Amino acid sequence: MARNVYLPYQMPRGTVAQHKNNYRGGPTPMTTRLRQRVSTLALSMAICAVLQSQAQAAEDGEAILKAKCVGCHIPEEGQALSRISHQRKTPEGWLMSIARMQVMHGLKIEDDDRRTLVKYLADKQGLAPNEADGARYALERRLNNVEDFDEKFTQMCARCHSGARVALQRRPAKEWEHLVNFHLGQWPSLEYQAQSRDRDWLDIALKEMVPELANRYPLDSKAWTDWQQQRPDAAKLAGEWSFSGHVPSKGDVRGVMTATVSDKDAFDVSLKGEYADGTPFNGSGSAILFNGYEWRGNLEVEGVAMRQVLAATAGEIRGRMFETEHDERGLDFVAAKQGTVRLLAVQPEYLKAGSEAELTLVGSGLSGKPSFGEGVEVLTVLEQTSERVRVKVKTASDAPVGIRMVNLGALKGPNLAVYQQISEVKVVPEYSVARVGGNGGSTPKVQGRFEAEAWGKDLAGKAYRIGLVPAKWSVEPFDERAAEDQDVKFAGVMSAEDGVFTPGAAGPNPERKMSTNNAGNLKVIAAVQQDGQTLKGEGQMIVTVQRWNNPPIP
Amino acid sequence: MKHLKPINNKAQILQQAAQEDRIEEVLAMSSVVGCTSTTDPGWEVDAFGGVTSLCQPMESDLYGCSDPCWWPAQVPDMMSTYPDWNKDALSSDEGWRNLNTVFPKDK
Repeated sequence: MARNVYLPYQMPRGTVAQHKNNYRGGPTPMTTRLRQRVSTLALSMAICAVLQSQAQAAEDGEAILKAKCVGCHIPEEGQALSRISHQRKTPEGWLMSIARMQVMHGLKIEDDDRRTLVKYLADKQGLAPNEADGARYALERRLNNVEDFDEKFTQMCARCHSGARVALQRRPAKEWEHLVNFHLGQWPSLEYQAQSRDRDWLDIALKEMVPELANRYPLDSKAWTDWQQQRPDAAKLAGEWSFSGHVPSKGDVRGVMTATVSDKDAFDVSLKGEYADGTPFNGSGSAILFNGYEWRGNLEVEGVAMRQVLAATAGEIRGRMFETEHDERGLDFVAAKQGTVRLLAVQPEYLKAGSEAELTLVGSGLSGKPSFGEGVEVLTVLEQTSERVRVKVKTASDAPVGIRMVNLGALKGPNLAVYQQISEVKVVPEYSVARVGGNGGSTPKVQGRFEAEAWGKDLAGKAYRIGLVPAKWSVEPFDERAAEDQDVKFAGVMSAEDGVFTPGAAGPNPERKMSTNNAGNLKVIAAVQQDGQTLKGEGQMIVTVQRWNNPPIP
Repeated sequence: MKHLKPINNKAQILQQAAQEDRIEEVLAMSSVVGCTSTTDPGWEVDAFGGVTSLCQPMESDLYGCSDPCWWPAQVPDMMSTYPDWNKDALSSDEGWRNLNTVFPKDK
């Protein structure tokens, strides 16, 4: 039977506490009963139980580490183990390390134990929030991101896998050196590939890259020391969160996420929201908090399994939600906790001069009068709650074009664009990869999903982003070779209405020259109507073959 | 290149790029996160940013490349890590549907 692609966010499926009890035979029925009571006495007992469970979880992690890892990893001074104790990683990074031990070194470990071990190591040896900044796109599975590392790093480290995989680890020089040696031992042909055979790869890797990496991504850092002291209690995240998001091809979404503590660092989660057109966006599931801020949820939203990869810092939760089996289908997600005062988003994010429109402000603790700047008059307040302010506005035909800030009472919020004319249309993502799939094979098709981004020119002639606008979609051959090979015919089908490209079937195609795959090099074209004229934007999409090695960090 | 003569289309394209002094541009080409374009050829994208110079259909000579670890981040290497990856698909051309992804899934 086909094995599915694994993604890391399945970790919350069984909570750590559930595992703990499987492992040791702990008191789940008791803690469950206690949670159901509301008396002060019961609450105190519950707190005791949680404290006990905290200690127990760490103890379990240590026990599993000893039981499963010391066979190979040598005990060192102060409870340390060789290799393991000298690295810090994200939850996905630790998962990949343990999975590698399973695949390469025959480690036998039950899923429950693996989850507990990932939790233990990610808490004990994780990254501070600002150490993961700049590389979260890889955790969030934003796989059309084009990385921008320096040339040497790109050629030496990121020509096979993402640079983020490296940037999301911390090691001392000796450990980076081990990693170089491991790479050459495990994949010896790497020295014969382009950008290796033209240089003394090993010498550069050991003498130049190792010190650079140890300097750029060191094991010991002030950020990590500080974070360990500041790391907030996960239980503080329990409560209601007002959220805003945008789903490509479907539009803006907003609502309330409720998190209830189910165990130590674990939550029951429910989402109650809707799209701008009123279509519901409801769901429920569970989440685990790693290392005080790394939120990983598993939810079912409108019948579809989705994951949350979010960072909870400074009263905000931010990141991405995506479908479990199709990580290309997802939404940016930002939420503010009830009790904080924050303006998160304005939906939609633009107004056309000389028209009337409805705007929705999303945030938490919202109060006061909305103001959208010169030339924008609030006609009616349609709805006002602490999470949402919905208004009807009229934009004067001579309203100044450009970007302005939304105000609500004393709150200053997100940007709002006012425009008269769209001057340029861009396709987002500008460059992307879709993959063939299905046709009886084990990997699903990876779709392309596009949006048209309108840009205008402000009074000074400077380009500014208006926002995402509806468009008609099509594809064309990217170049002569693509035309000659009939890539448009074979590579897949673009939905004209919503910009969703569904690639062709996997496998050799006897109808193509040399029976080649249904790959293609396509221009993605967005046509936006404005005053009877058509404005076009272009992007490039590579439709290509399956990825067979698909770990959580690409 | 003095003593080498291109005899197929791919080699001719590469030679043309060399003559036009585009080699640097080609090698610096970056693709989306986690894709490889520079493994000569890349897995997802070729050195020219297209797909025509890739080894496709990939099923025709898959194991000739996966065995010596040619794209280890995208395709299971069968020399060191996944020697049994193709046990149910000994002919990739006919049995590719039996190939699976390799990251150990949570059950």
